[in-house]
Amino acid sequence: MKYINSIIKADYLQRTRSYAFLITLAITFYAAYSFVPPPTASYTTLNVVGYKGVYNSAWVGYVSGMMTAIMLSMYGFFLVNGGIKKDIDTEVGLIIATTPITNFGYLLSKMLSNFLVLLTIAGCTFVVSIVMFFVRTSGSPFIFSNFLIPYSLFVLPAMLVISSLAVIAEVFLGRRSILQYIAFFFFFGILMANINQQKNETLAVFIDPFGVRTMTSSIKNHINIKYHEHIEGINLGFTFNSKRGFKTFEWNGIAITSVFLLSRLLWLIISFVLVYFSSFFFHRFDFKQSGNKKKKLKIDEPNTDGAMFAPTGINRALMPPLVTDYGILPFIKTELLLLIRKGSKWLWLLSIGVAISMLFAPVNISHAYILPALWFLQVTRWSEITTKEETNRLHYFTYASYKPLQRMLPAQLLAGIIIAVVLAAPLIARYAVMADGYAIINIISGAIFIVLLAGCLGIVSGGKKIFEIFFFLLTYTVTQNIPVADYLGAVKHDSHMAYIAVILAFNLFMLVVSFGVRSYKLRNV
Amino acid sequence: MSLVIKNLTKQYNKHKTGLADYSINIEKGVLGLLGPNGAGKSTLMKIIATISKPTTGTLFLDGEDIVGNPDRIRKILGYLPQDFGVYPNLNAYEFLEYIAAMKGVGGSNLRKRIDMLLEGVNLTADAKRPIGTYSGGMKQRIGIAQALLNDPKVLIFDEPTVGLDPEERVRFRQLISDLADDCIIILSSHIVSDIETIADEVAIMKNGKLITKAAQPEIIKLVEGKVFETLVDNNDVAGIKNEYQVIDTGRQKDKTRVRFISQTGAPELSPATVNATLEDAYLFLTHDNK
Repeated sequence: MKYINSIIKADYLQRTRSYAFLITLAITFYAAYSFVPPPTASYTTLNVVGYKGVYNSAWVGYVSGMMTAIMLSMYGFFLVNGGIKKDIDTEVGLIIATTPITNFGYLLSKMLSNFLVLLTIAGCTFVVSIVMFFVRTSGSPFIFSNFLIPYSLFVLPAMLVISSLAVIAEVFLGRRSILQYIAFFFFFGILMANINQQKNETLAVFIDPFGVRTMTSSIKNHINIKYHEHIEGINLGFTFNSKRGFKTFEWNGIAITSVFLLSRLLWLIISFVLVYFSSFFFHRFDFKQSGNKKKKLKIDEPNTDGAMFAPTGINRALMPPLVTDYGILPFIKTELLLLIRKGSKWLWLLSIGVAISMLFAPVNISHAYILPALWFLQVTRWSEITTKEETNRLHYFTYASYKPLQRMLPAQLLAGIIIAVVLAAPLIARYAVMADGYAIINIISGAIFIVLLAGCLGIVSGGKKIFEIFFFLLTYTVTQNIPVADYLGAVKHDSHMAYIAVILAFNLFMLVVSFGVRSYKLRNV
Repeated sequence: MSLVIKNLTKQYNKHKTGLADYSINIEKGVLGLLGPNGAGKSTLMKIIATISKPTTGTLFLDGEDIVGNPDRIRKILGYLPQDFGVYPNLNAYEFLEYIAAMKGVGGSNLRKRIDMLLEGVNLTADAKRPIGTYSGGMKQRIGIAQALLNDPKVLIFDEPTVGLDPEERVRFRQLISDLADDCIIILSSHIVSDIETIADEVAIMKNGKLITKAAQPEIIKLVEGKVFETLVDNNDVAGIKNEYQVIDTGRQKDKTRVRFISQTGAPELSPATVNATLEDAYLFLTHDNK
């Protein structure tokens, strides 16, 4: 246990002492603030048709707890995922492998450090929710248990499940981050759909690690009984409404039943059991055994390892004359090569297949669902677009090169945009045939937006996590047809020109930030 | 060609100073930088390589300000950092083409230039393998090749012999000697013998300051007559260490040979005076009590 405590502590400190974590905390504070909108806001986070909850401590505490459970589960996976990969990259894993710690002990420590990181963030939203109670309400009594219960029974189990999933995804899907992201994307989507649609109430409670169903059912039953209504569904998450009249209702929290408590306990046990099960398949940093054939040298391959310099050395007098070329085309070529080689050939085959499918699927489906999903498949390609020099410790060369700001950064961004536009080409071609210029502009500006977002967040945070989280949230919300998240013009907007102008403004802003911060970093290695 | 550094200071934060009021003139030839960890060698090299901006001070290359106009030196710079990496998915050709693009080297001759460099560092046979599969020594050699791509006039090598085996080190020294005729070469190493063999001049640094810069014989002269050797019982070594600056010890059956520096000659040990080396001078000059 001593080893495990030390690993958890080191891992936790390592993750939280980063710009990415600070940025995540800042975003979390804002998100927690937005979970409890003012009564006059144009959006709600829990939408009951025709009704609005009175802002008492139960409403504020439960809505905040439930939103934290869902939102933090959504992006928390991306935030904590990669703990084992970090140990592989830094070769700390090799040291760990030689210690007496068991596979389960190591994976458990990873899960618990993931949990602590998520808990830290949840702790922030907890504090903000209490502050928001005093900001948004007047005269309503403050009941602490209405904050403690949702955070204990919704958030804690959800965070433990996500922590466990992040570990087992790494064990079974190795260093293939994109497969982990896709698997989680589908897992999360299917789980949420099942929680909402499950007819059997008891079963719904058991399959729900977030506690959402218990809360929505409680609210639904409360309204149906008290106001003789037949409300079927409640929408969760940010829902934007045009302002209209609402009836208000006062809700005082869920009834804590033994079934509900048992379901919480079950998810806690599942989390630990999954990690225990995965420990039998853990590579323990022995990649020869687990078969990374790609990296092994073949015996007949030429290999001059250990051989000395050529006896003749390097005679500069015999070298061809130096020809200078300060253009960015060779840069773009190599950046494209790096982007293309990132990820497996299977991912390319899948991407090409999905791209071609946009030729045949209905145009609106291609635009609103297939294209965002196809671009999300490239998340690991773009997330390192401006961070790979530092990740690979190559920035000593690149930053000391000739005019790196004017040549290297534009080349990186252009290469990313080329990949995005080429992948979207089948859909662009269809819009071209339909003579829909706005749609084409929207897709191209969406491509620019997503690559600039990757570049900007990478430069500012120094890592890839923030972009991966943002991109996941954007993709998820775009596929839910939420207009505010629509970066590629997939949803109908009131004004084409206004929409294009907004995206253009975002793009310009990100461009300025990217160049400004990179300019500073170039001289401060 | 000359590099003139005046009153350079790099202050990382309130408590951490990389360089403190550092001034030095560097001419053509090989300047060896010696200093303990944290002496400021890498900071100085990063500032000359333009990837770190000094807090105060100036740096002129042939009279032109490099701090304000870093692109002036970047065109003619070859830099091999201490802890550099590579893009593991690129092969040696692709990697060098990429670095060439950064340095603004192109034209139809580029491929031939890369071929010759790869041949020079003996990587031709492995040139089409991903660099991610290279050993430490091979990566170091590709690092040396990239530094020479643009026919540099200023070469900065930060711990260049790390990862090279003894034979490779010998070859590397020869390579540096060949390049030194028309270049400024600044080279740091913890291995004093590397500096001793290659450097025309040596600069010794400590705590961000320049202690001395001179040709090797002049530096060695500073400890001439102060370096002694004696054979003592194993039990007496600790006492000598308390009293004198011990440079080296070597066990010989029941006795220990001790090499030490003394201002007084330590008559109680009846030592023999020995010829001083650059290592003796370096340790003497950077010793804490100095």
